[in-house]
Amino acid sequence: MSTYAQQTAENVTLPTSLDEAVAALAAMPSAVPVAGGTDLMASVNAGLLRPAALVGLGRIAEIRGWQYADGAALLGAGLTHARMGRPDFAALIPALAAAARSAGPPQIRNAGTLGGNIVSAAPTGDALPVLAALEASVILAGPEADREIPVSHLLTGMDPLRPGELLAFVRIPLLHAPQTFLKATGRTGPGRAVASVALVVDPARRQVRCAVGAVAQVPLRPLEAEQWVAGLIDWDGERNLAPEACTAFGEYVAAACIPDQPGVELPPAAVQLRRTVAALSRRALGRALA
Amino acid sequence: MSVIDGPGAVTESLAGGGTPHGIGTSLPSADAPAKTQGTYPYAADLWAEGLLWAAVLRSPYPHARIVRIDTGEAAAMPGVRAVLTHEDVPGDAMHGRLVADRPVFAKDIVRHHGEPIAAVAADHPDTARLAAAAILVEYEVLEPVTDPEKAFAAEPLHPDGNLIRHIPLRFGDPDTVGEVIVEGLYRVGRQDPAPIGAEAGLAVPRPDGGVELYVASTDPHADRDIAAACFGLEADHVKVVVTGVPGAMGDREDSGIQLPLGLLALRTGCPVKFVATREESFLGHAHRHPTLLRYRHHADAEGRLVKVEAQILLDAGAYADASSDALAAAVAFAAGPYVVPHVFVEGWAVRTNNPPSGHVRGEGALQVCTAYEGQMDKLAAKLGLEPAEIRMRNVLATGDLLPTGQSVTCPAPVGELLKAVRDADLPPLPDGDDESQWLLPGGTSGAGEPGAVRRGVGYALGMVHVLGAEGTDEVSTATVRVHDGRATVICAAVETGQGFTTLARQIVQEVLGVEDVRVLPSDTDQPPAGPAARGRHTWVSGGAVERAAKMVRTQLLQPLAAKFGMSVELLTIADGKITSYDGVLSTTVAETLDGKELWATAQCRPHPTDRLDETGQGDAFVGLTFCAIRAVVDVDIELGAVRVVELAVAQDVGRVLNPRQLAARIEAGVTQGVGLALMEDLRAPRGIVKRPSLTGYALPTALDAPEVRIVKLVEERDVVAPFGAKAVSAVPVVTSPAAVAAAVRAATGRPISRLPIRPQAAIVKPPA
Ligand SMILES: Cc1cc2nc3c(=O)[nH]c(=O)nc-3n(C[C@H](O)[C@H](O)[C@H](O)COP(=O)(O)OP(=O)(O)OC[C@H]3O[C@@H](n4cnc5c(N)ncnc54)[C@H](O)[C@@H]3O)c2cc1C
Repeated sequence: MSTYAQQTAENVTLPTSLDEAVAALAAMPSAVPVAGGTDLMASVNAGLLRPAALVGLGRIAEIRGWQYADGAALLGAGLTHARMGRPDFAALIPALAAAARSAGPPQIRNAGTLGGNIVSAAPTGDALPVLAALEASVILAGPEADREIPVSHLLTGMDPLRPGELLAFVRIPLLHAPQTFLKATGRTGPGRAVASVALVVDPARRQVRCAVGAVAQVPLRPLEAEQWVAGLIDWDGERNLAPEACTAFGEYVAAACIPDQPGVELPPAAVQLRRTVAALSRRALGRALA
Repeated sequence: MSVIDGPGAVTESLAGGGTPHGIGTSLPSADAPAKTQGTYPYAADLWAEGLLWAAVLRSPYPHARIVRIDTGEAAAMPGVRAVLTHEDVPGDAMHGRLVADRPVFAKDIVRHHGEPIAAVAADHPDTARLAAAAILVEYEVLEPVTDPEKAFAAEPLHPDGNLIRHIPLRFGDPDTVGEVIVEGLYRVGRQDPAPIGAEAGLAVPRPDGGVELYVASTDPHADRDIAAACFGLEADHVKVVVTGVPGAMGDREDSGIQLPLGLLALRTGCPVKFVATREESFLGHAHRHPTLLRYRHHADAEGRLVKVEAQILLDAGAYADASSDALAAAVAFAAGPYVVPHVFVEGWAVRTNNPPSGHVRGEGALQVCTAYEGQMDKLAAKLGLEPAEIRMRNVLATGDLLPTGQSVTCPAPVGELLKAVRDADLPPLPDGDDESQWLLPGGTSGAGEPGAVRRGVGYALGMVHVLGAEGTDEVSTATVRVHDGRATVICAAVETGQGFTTLARQIVQEVLGVEDVRVLPSDTDQPPAGPAARGRHTWVSGGAVERAAKMVRTQLLQPLAAKFGMSVELLTIADGKITSYDGVLSTTVAETLDGKELWATAQCRPHPTDRLDETGQGDAFVGLTFCAIRAVVDVDIELGAVRVVELAVAQDVGRVLNPRQLAARIEAGVTQGVGLALMEDLRAPRGIVKRPSLTGYALPTALDAPEVRIVKLVEERDVVAPFGAKAVSAVPVVTSPAAVAAAVRAATGRPISRLPIRPQAAIVKPPA
């Protein structure tokens, strides 16, 4: 007796519009969407996942680019890291471009997408701290009406993707001010973040927003440190800070993200991580205000 | 990218016109086109009609007693054709290179995470895997021995005890004391050979009751002998056929692959294929010995070494494997390529429940290089000398004694090598106005800050022996056949990618003047050639090929010489033509052959060596080779990120046989060393291998690999070696980690006593 018969042919749908994709998912609730496959196929190869069917998102032209809407950019979930890394995109959202350029080796960047990065929600997802700092929101397309929620609600699981829903677009306010993304990997070649810092200056709201990636399950926002530093900045003047202020900001962010445990000494690895976050935050702020 | 410069560095321009052939040319590898086009057949590509798929069940624990194994459910699964455990091994239950201490399948006790317990053959790989997972094993988990320092006193993991070997080396006067003393404790992590292609194999049963194993073996005859003994068959009933080897930095395809495959094929009567997952590969094959080294160096006020004391502890994992050899190298080279009148070393290799250690290029020699070079830097700092200067004052030369009492008879141009790297131009600092375009430590991720980057320059001198040591019978046999104006080489020396077949072709071209030379694939029907390790094949198999080719040459020329009344020596062959010294005679090889075939088989067996005695003394090595490396690194002293900017290499090669291949071997070697220096460490806390994947275990990529600059190749012939050539692959691996560590030390002022260098070790704390 052979077990070959049990291996059903992989069922793959390749819709060309969001509506078709949503319909395909509705028709087959066990189907799993796949964009670049750089996260999904690794799980399949490792035997962790055996999807009964796949809905490929690669042919949906409407989510492969971006458009402008009321002072914001509406990014398609199918934008690849490679595309986001290009100069025209970098002129628009510099921090997201920097994150995209650092996300894995070129082969991965050519295939991996913004949507996949968000839905995978890995602690080391490089787009995530940038989206958190930008206070981006995501537009979800599903069998019911589309809905828009803050990206942080999706990442924290407060408001997860519902069955049959697809991540269609990401709305990002265009700030027209400096923003940075810095990532420490411990090596020269491509690697996952040990820690990353996204920092954006928002002159309209007189805010500095910062998010730290890879040190916790989701990007962390050191709100007090943000407010403190925003208070130091002369928003109507040069907008620069003394190096000591940048250093203090770094320490502040690091202590907020890797807090002291009352009564216990911080383990060496945490001390090291704190030092890394402090250096990254200081550098990020320094560059943004340079 | 490598750059070769310096006068006399290369004997032939890399861009020379025409098809190069013969010794000293950059003859390209015959496999290269197929490999680059993806048509080269590797073991994982093998196929046989009606084949079954194997899966191996491996222990999830590093140390446990097996209470019960129930294969019933697995065997009953549809599609499953056989399930084997220790009860199904018809021959020897245990095997091993020197000590038969490793079971085919664990019986009562498992001794490391990933040890094979059972194997399944089924009609689909997923079925085989599911069935393996359905085998019920009841374990009584035991406390693992994971600290090699505690192995001495721990419950024995083997009836012989946990001490695999102890070498106390005594050389000189133990009471001598130097004016300056420095001490250090060094640790080297567990490097995985990480062969880039999947470890795989196919076993095909034979009608005569035997079996053929198609595997990417690096030592087919040894593997055949082990397999035959475990299968309970005569050796001539097992044939190992070497398939395309996708990378081998040490041994490939641990016995946990070959033996279950053969047993399953014999049991089912069907061909059986196995392709290891990356995870199994990390769990199964041998790693570089994690090593703990304690050193005390004594010097006089001028920085001349007086005495070296060392304690070296190798973590062998549960089985003896090649640990005895690694220990001999570590102890013998404990002081490095320096003249030291008094040397006292205690070396131990012990059993633990950590992942198995074994042969990985430069074993033993690499770990001590890291330590003795760390000590040289400490001495230099203490005496206020330049690191290159203190080394120069102590370099070994031909005629000096090793601490084993063996006199160095081969070329040992250590000082010349050091001078070459010391005097080479330093690489420029990053320049250009756009700082964002600089490749800083931390790479392209944007975190690097020029103001936090310090550059450091460090030196290391390394040495390694070539060929097996301590009385190993080093021998190889080769056959050369000439027919229709072309030649064929038959030799069981495995082409692992190291370039042996190219070398064999060059040798035959040189001796016989025929350009068209083919090398047949290796299998165990051919006479043994021994393992592809320790630069052996350049020497012993290259030597055997040369001898066989010379015998054919004599057979070819003898009748001509007799006819013309001159001696064979007065005839030359080049480009398929035979001419006499005076130009009177001129004919072709094809014409002289006149349709005949000429065959000759020859052996090469270098002079014998001794086992190190109870005080670590003896002529244990056939040959030695040396290397000097100057590393230039940039360190982000706040993040601890290190980028190796350049490695300048000077190497003692005897003779350049193939310049391009030689450069590739050096580049590959130093890059493997950089991997160990900066990132490669298979972590196994409490004996459990963590993240056994190529995401979890980082290897150097093109961005991590430095510019490799070969500044000098010293071509002082080693008169006892064929062509005077030395093995070239291991010594750059041995030397580069120490050079990188020295450069990081120089950049940061931190001690750097542990490899890989963790970021926290390279951070310079701002003054409080
Ligand atoms: C070698 C390697 C290196 C990597 N390095 C990095 C790195 O440095 N930084 C980093 O951030 N990531 C890295 N990654 C992870 C990965 O490449 C990224 O997370 C990538 O953005 C995932 O996108 P994808 O399109 O490939 O996702 P897929 O694998 O196609 O999908 C991932 C998940 O998201 C779901 N999904 C995808 N698109 C949608 C959608 N539109 N709507 C709903 N669900 C969706 C899928 O069902 C799946 O569950 C690396 C991966 C590899 C293999």
